[in-house]
Amino acid sequence: MKKNLHCVYKLLPASALGAVIFMLQVTLSNKASAQTDTAKKLNEVTISTSTIPQIQTITPAQQVSAIDFTRNSAFTVADAIRNFAGVNIKDYGGIGGVKTVLVRSLGANHTGIFYDGVQLNDAQNGQIDLGRLNLNNVQSITLYNGQPDNICAPARAFASASVLSIKTIRPSLNAEKPYQVLVGIKGGSFGLINPYIQWQQRISKNWSAVVNSYLEKADGQYKYKVNGDGSDTLATRRNGDIKAQQADAALYWTKSDSNQFNLHVNYYNSNRGLPGAVVFYNPYSKQRVQNRDIYVQAGYEHLWTNSLHLLLNTKLSRLYTHYTDPDFLNNQGGLNYKYTQKEVYQSATLAYHILSNWEVSYAADFAYTHLDANVANYACPSRSTLLNAIASNLVAGKWRFQGSLLNSNISESVKTGKSSASRNVYSPALMATFKPFNNSNFQLRAFYKNSFRYPTFDEFYYFAIQVRDLKPEFAKQYDLGATYTKSLNSWLDYITFTADAYYNNVTDKILSIPNQNPYISSISNLGKVDVKGIDVSIKTQSKLSNNWRALLTANYSFQKAIDVSDPASSVYLEQIPYSPKHTVAINAGIDHQRFGIYYNQILSSSRYYSGENLPENLLSGYSVSDASAVYNFLIKSKQVTASVEVNNLFNANYAVIRSFPLPGRSYRLSIQIKI
Amino acid sequence: MKQLKLKNLFIGVAAISSLASCHKDKINPNDDKPIDPLTNKAGIYILNQGAFNANNSTLTYYDYASKKLVPDQFKTINGRGLGDTGNDIKIYGSKMYIVVNVSSTVEVADAKTAKSIKKLDFFDNTVARQPRSVAFYKNMALITSYDGTVAVLDTASLTVTKYIKVGRNPEQLVVANDKLYVANSGGLDFGNPDKTVSVVDLNTLTETKKITVALNPVSIAADKYGDVYVISMGDFDKVLPSLTIINTATDAVKQQSDLSAAYGTPIITSGDFAYFVTADNKIQVFNVKTETLEKASFISDGTVVTTPFGLKIDEETGELFVTDAKDYKSNGEVFAFDKTGKKEYSLTTGITPGAIAFVKK
Repeated sequence: MKKNLHCVYKLLPASALGAVIFMLQVTLSNKASAQTDTAKKLNEVTISTSTIPQIQTITPAQQVSAIDFTRNSAFTVADAIRNFAGVNIKDYGGIGGVKTVLVRSLGANHTGIFYDGVQLNDAQNGQIDLGRLNLNNVQSITLYNGQPDNICAPARAFASASVLSIKTIRPSLNAEKPYQVLVGIKGGSFGLINPYIQWQQRISKNWSAVVNSYLEKADGQYKYKVNGDGSDTLATRRNGDIKAQQADAALYWTKSDSNQFNLHVNYYNSNRGLPGAVVFYNPYSKQRVQNRDIYVQAGYEHLWTNSLHLLLNTKLSRLYTHYTDPDFLNNQGGLNYKYTQKEVYQSATLAYHILSNWEVSYAADFAYTHLDANVANYACPSRSTLLNAIASNLVAGKWRFQGSLLNSNISESVKTGKSSASRNVYSPALMATFKPFNNSNFQLRAFYKNSFRYPTFDEFYYFAIQVRDLKPEFAKQYDLGATYTKSLNSWLDYITFTADAYYNNVTDKILSIPNQNPYISSISNLGKVDVKGIDVSIKTQSKLSNNWRALLTANYSFQKAIDVSDPASSVYLEQIPYSPKHTVAINAGIDHQRFGIYYNQILSSSRYYSGENLPENLLSGYSVSDASAVYNFLIKSKQVTASVEVNNLFNANYAVIRSFPLPGRSYRLSIQIKI
Repeated sequence: MKQLKLKNLFIGVAAISSLASCHKDKINPNDDKPIDPLTNKAGIYILNQGAFNANNSTLTYYDYASKKLVPDQFKTINGRGLGDTGNDIKIYGSKMYIVVNVSSTVEVADAKTAKSIKKLDFFDNTVARQPRSVAFYKNMALITSYDGTVAVLDTASLTVTKYIKVGRNPEQLVVANDKLYVANSGGLDFGNPDKTVSVVDLNTLTETKKITVALNPVSIAADKYGDVYVISMGDFDKVLPSLTIINTATDAVKQQSDLSAAYGTPIITSGDFAYFVTADNKIQVFNVKTETLEKASFISDGTVVTTPFGLKIDEETGELFVTDAKDYKSNGEVFAFDKTGKKEYSLTTGITPGAIAFVKK
């Protein structure tokens, strides 16, 4: 949204400019939510590295777990998943910069971000800042194209084009050692200091708790090269400082694996500067954004012996954003906007095995979301979302079939003006795997999914004199793939291989069409995009030999994402902005007993920052390398882990988003002790 | 480890170089061969605003003798870009003044070559003043900025000698009857724009009066009969764009009328006529002598200008130049029309072409 709106700016005199800056700022002030937990059987998580990664899923799924984070030199969720095939991270740079995920050239709003099974929802602009999600308490992150393969899931899990599922650490303690404490600190470039603590406590046979907390402080400064302003020295990126704290507490009651309850409370507070785009000759920005988010989440799961499976989830959230720009030249002496978004969410799912090979489920979710803002004439909209999903999973010989049908019923009301029209949409999905050969590790898979992303509150109401007449943006996905997995007896432990070809068709794409009057019709459903792509992944690991072991993961993505909106337009059949045709990600490493050294490489071909594929609109490709080393040792029989990570090892000068240069070489040191 | 790294590097280099070789190199085509001008124009500059925050404001230059189109003359000659959102360009004497809004600079350059003579940074400490438009009087360049000022720039020493306080977020300005008229838009106050035109005494360099006009005045021009024409943009909701005519002898409002004007349209005058863009993207001609509509649509040969954005008259030939911003994201175009509204030629410009200046031979 941000990009498209830019152009409006210039057409217009100041009045319109105000609106655009405003919208821009909302995009930047992006409110991701922090974390929480709900026990749920979404997907099995493999922690041990010696087992073969489970890649033969019904839709493509890619996973990283806690042990991989250092190997990937990752500090946030955004870093941890940037190697995934088909993934592009939109990175605005720096430690406090917004990072969102684009999967298979669909917009960021098409990916649902789930924390322990419950979605982090943002109805205001729909973008979850993955750069805000710290890895300290994360156990695993899985990206599912289409949807997760467990059909006993909330209806929201069926509602996105892809799902990024983040799972937090759960306590596994016994009566002999009823507690475990992790204390650590990370620090390094950008003036980063990030101390954290995790306390796991066994309360009784059935009750346990985890408390996580961290502080993060960084000045965010880094050197970068401005290209094109005639300067020959490096400039310093300023106003990118951040101060953040997060605390979350989880309480688990586990009667058995089939009868459990959890309760989570999560608080996040941050205050950060927004360095803004690098504008030639004008290096100053005093924009700031403060976030104060809290939510409470509870989940209950019961599996009866007759295979009836119940899953309940509840969430209450309040997201507060305060944006200021003292340099904005209005009469009030700057911009000062406050937004409060509240949501009540309830989900219930029932699943049942009609036969041992045939499971059906029904899920119903209700959410009520309200946004308040101190913006003149703002609609202050409320949205009621009722989702009903039925799903079925059937295994028949060499075949496995899964299907789901989601009904979404969305209506809104507003405090002032008119609300958007109500919508009732059906979204089907069909998936299958087929094992052509007996005793073979080769599988074929295919899926079709029809999903949509709903217009955000910003798109409907922001600086709209009347509510904008918008439809949902639809995405149809077709995927055909093959997977191969084999455990080996040679010097290799295993090898896994996946290849998927896909076709995505986006219709009614929500575009901001610059217009001389941005208040009336700057956003509409005029876009159509065709994406043809290939994702290839290979993973292998050598057998332990003299305590040495080598690991290799490599992903390649091809994406041809072209604009097919208007044959008369100069951007017809051109590659859409910020979509690289080729991306390669390689991660390799060697372990030796307590020591590991890892190398990560990402290559991206060039992209265009504007719809016209002209040389002057080209953002050059880049090659960025990271390296890390980990050492585990004991101090007074306490396990200590120390690591050093170097990001952008060869000091590449690059940007993912035009005018948002990324940092050169940077360092991070971590030390953690387990008590 | 070392080998591993080298291997990766090799793959990287190979991949990047193979990818790099597939870029399409498109050269901006000249849609038509411009005809030889009837005047003593040596060339034409078109200032393109570029895309917001993309630092791609460019200065298209077309040379009539060599028939050569330079996509960015400023960068070609100075080795650096104009920056972000060039909003106004005017030639005064031998110098050219380019007002760059978001970069908050005014580039003073040689009019013939675009070689920068001085880059003036428009900052109040670290607060960008955001300059918008320039006008001239005697040895002064007068520059409006969104911070509510008109800077007085000495055209010889190229230093700002004074900031004159005017209304909120001033946009365009014009000298008429030895006074300066400044449109105070107040456009950065959403829902509460300004509605005044400041009158500045050019001897004392102070604001002497504020004339109340329609809401959100932006564009301003003076005719040869002592009137100043102001187009206000309204509030984008209930208050429509309108035209206010000010009598500069009395500084009183003569006439005020709603008009079907495009949001953000410029207004220019030449002889007995004023030109502006209507809401349905036509170029309308207003007779400033009779103060009535002259022509509902200037273009007479059916030429379609998708998004007319900037207007400029060649006073010697009466040719009207119209920039086409298209979708504001793609490269634009500039059309030359003869007096009768027939297209003569067009040139490809950069993104969002907004202002034009002619260089004399």
